Amino acid sequence: MATEIRMEKLRCAFGQTIAVDDISMTFPAESVTCLLGPSGCGKTTLMRMLAGLQDPTSGEIYFGDQRVTDMTPSERNIGMVFQYPVVYRGTTLFQSVELPLTRDKSVSKEERKRRVEDILEQLNLTHVAHEDVTTLDNATRQKAAVARAVARQPQIILFDEPITNVDVAAKVQLKRALKGLVKQHSQTIIYVTHDQTEAMTLADEIALMDNGKIVQRGKPRDIYNNPNNRFGGWFLGNPGMNFVEHTIVNHDGGQHLGAPLFRQPIPLQAVHGLSNVVVGIRPERVNLGEETPAAVKGVILRSSLVIGGQYLVSLKIGSTMIKAKTTRNDLPPPGESVWVTCPLEDVKLFTPAGERIDMK
Amino acid sequence: MAQADLSSPARLQQAAVPAMTPLRRFLMRFNRLFDDARLLPVLLIAPVLIFFIVWNVIPTLWMIGLSFYRYQISIPDSLAFLGIDNYTDIIRDRAMWQGLSRTFIWVFFGVGIQTLLGMVLGFLFWGSKSMPGRRLALTLLFTPMIVTPVAAGLFFRLIYEPTFGILNWFTQSFFGQEVLLLQNPEVAFWAVLFVDIWMWTPFMILITLAALASVPKAEMEAAEIDRLSWFDRIRYIILPHGKYILMLGILLRTIDSFKTLDLVYLMAVPGSTTKLIAILLRESAFEALNVGWSSALAIILLLTAIAFTSIYLYILNLNSKAKAKEVAT
Repeated sequence: MATEIRMEKLRCAFGQTIAVDDISMTFPAESVTCLLGPSGCGKTTLMRMLAGLQDPTSGEIYFGDQRVTDMTPSERNIGMVFQYPVVYRGTTLFQSVELPLTRDKSVSKEERKRRVEDILEQLNLTHVAHEDVTTLDNATRQKAAVARAVARQPQIILFDEPITNVDVAAKVQLKRALKGLVKQHSQTIIYVTHDQTEAMTLADEIALMDNGKIVQRGKPRDIYNNPNNRFGGWFLGNPGMNFVEHTIVNHDGGQHLGAPLFRQPIPLQAVHGLSNVVVGIRPERVNLGEETPAAVKGVILRSSLVIGGQYLVSLKIGSTMIKAKTTRNDLPPPGESVWVTCPLEDVKLFTPAGERIDMK
Repeated sequence: MAQADLSSPARLQQAAVPAMTPLRRFLMRFNRLFDDARLLPVLLIAPVLIFFIVWNVIPTLWMIGLSFYRYQISIPDSLAFLGIDNYTDIIRDRAMWQGLSRTFIWVFFGVGIQTLLGMVLGFLFWGSKSMPGRRLALTLLFTPMIVTPVAAGLFFRLIYEPTFGILNWFTQSFFGQEVLLLQNPEVAFWAVLFVDIWMWTPFMILITLAALASVPKAEMEAAEIDRLSWFDRIRYIILPHGKYILMLGILLRTIDSFKTLDLVYLMAVPGSTTKLIAILLRESAFEALNVGWSSALAIILLLTAIAFTSIYLYILNLNSKAKAKEVAT
C-alpha cells in the first residue's frame, strides 16, 4: 500500500529564476516515475520540494490525502537517495543501514535484523556487511544508501541522480541492482535523472521536464515515438531527432510537403494557417540505400561506427544536413551519393514554434 | 634645432641604454641572484630564519645554559655552575607543585567549559540561520575576544569590587548580601577563571561554527530524511567531520591557557589562590631576579607545553592518516 504524490500549482523561484513553474500533476502510487530533463531544468528542485528540503514559493503537495507542504522531511516519512553517496561515519555497512530503523519502535530487533539482511542480500552486499563504511568505494556506498532508504520501507522513495557519481563500470551493476529492487518493492518511486537510458530502463512512466515545466508524460516508448514537441524529440535519442524546416506548397488545390526530404509532394491535412512546418524524423528511421518512390539523393559526408554495429551517417540533401543510423555496411564511401527515404509513418510534424501537429 | 637633436639616432641610443653606474651594476648583480633556482628559496626564507634564530633559538639555548647555573642579577659575582641542582630544587619545591596543579586545573576547567559552552552556543547559532538580528548577535558575542586581557582584567576587578562594584550593588540591593570574590581565597580562583571563560568562549563558538561548516550538507539532509536523532547526527555526522577543526581550536586554547599571566596578574590579590605557574615564574624571574632558577622552571614549562601539543598533534595526525587512507581507497 503505497501513496500517490499530488502537486498543485507547485512553484519555486530563486530571485528572478523560476526553477519550478506552477506544476500540477500526480505521480501514481506503486510505480516508478522518472523525472527526466537536462541539467538546470528544475527536476532536482522539484524533488527537494517533495522531500521537504526546499520550501516551495507557492503551491501544495499531498501524499495521498495528507497535505505535507508544511511538514519537515522527518515528518514526511520518505526515503531518499542522494547524488552524493551518504554513509554514516564510524559504522559498519550493516549498522549504517540499520541506523534509521532503530528509531522505529514498532519494528522488533529480530525484524530489523531480518530486513537489513534481506536488503543486503538483494543488493549483493552481504560480503561487505561488516566492513567500515569509509573503506568502501563510491558504488558500494551508494548501494548502502539505497539499502538504507529501502530497508525502512517508507511509502515513497526519492532517488536524486543516484548513479551519476559512480564510475562507469559500477554504473551498469548499480543500475541492474536498482532495476531488480524497484521491481520487487511496491513503493511509489520518483527517480530524477538526466540520463535517458537510465530513465528508459527503470521507468514505468517518464515525466519529461524542461525550463521548470513538465512538457510530456507517458510510457518510455510513447514519449520516444511521439514527442509532444521539438524538445522531447531532441532530448531523447542519441543523437536526437532530425528537424528539417519545410515550406508548405500548394499543389492541386491542397497543401503538400515537398523538397528537400520528399521527392514527390506529400498531401497534408489539418495544417491550417501555417506556411512552414518542421519535419522531424529519428536517425534510426531514415532508410538508406534503397531507391523507393519517395527517395531523394543525399551525399554522404561522414560515417562512423557506433556501439551495436550501427553506422552513424551524416548526409547532405540539397543544403540540408541530416543524420541517419543504419546497420548496412555496403554504403558508398563519403563524397558519393545514396538514396534516402523518410518513411511517412515515422515522420512527425511540428509547428515552427515546436509543438507537434497531429496527422491523420 | 632642438627637435632635430632629439630625433637623432645617437641621442635615441643613449636614452635606451643608461650609463652603468656602480649602483646599477650592484642592483643588476643582486637581481641576478634571484634567477638562481637553488638560491631563491633560501633567499626568500632567510628573513624569517634569521628572525627565528636570533629571537628564538639563541635565547632558548642561552636559557638552557643558564638553567644549570646559579645566577642572580641582584647579587654580584653570583654566577656558579650548579649542574642539575636548580631542577632538583624546583621538583622539591611545594609551591611550584601547587602552582603547576593549579595551572592544570585552570587549563582543564577553563578550556573544558569554553569548549562545551562554545559548542552549545555554536550549535544554537548554526541552527538559527533565519533568526532576525543573527549577525548583530554574533558580532556582539565576539566582543569579549577582541578586548585586551589587561582591560578585561581591570573591568572585572571593578565589577567584583566589594565597596562600589556593580556586582555587589546588585547582590546588596536585591539580596542584602555582600559578595567577596577576589578577596576570598576559596572563590578567587574561580572568579578569575570566569573572566577567562567569558573572554574565550566566543573563540570556541567561532571554531564550532567553522567545524560545522565542514559538515557536508547532503549528509545532514540524509539524516533528516532518515529521521536520525540529534544525538546520532552529532555522533555519526557532525563529530566525524568537524573534529579536526574542533581539535585544532582546543589545542590553540590549551597552549594559550597554559601560559595565562596577564589576566591573573591583574586580578590577583596578594596571597590569594590564583597563583598560576606563570605568576610564580614571573615573580622569581623579575622580582627575585633569580635568573638561573627561573630558566630551569621555564625549561620545565616549555617541555610540559611541548608534551601537551604532541599529544594533540598525535591525535590529529592519526585522524589525517585515517582520512588519507580513506581517500586512497
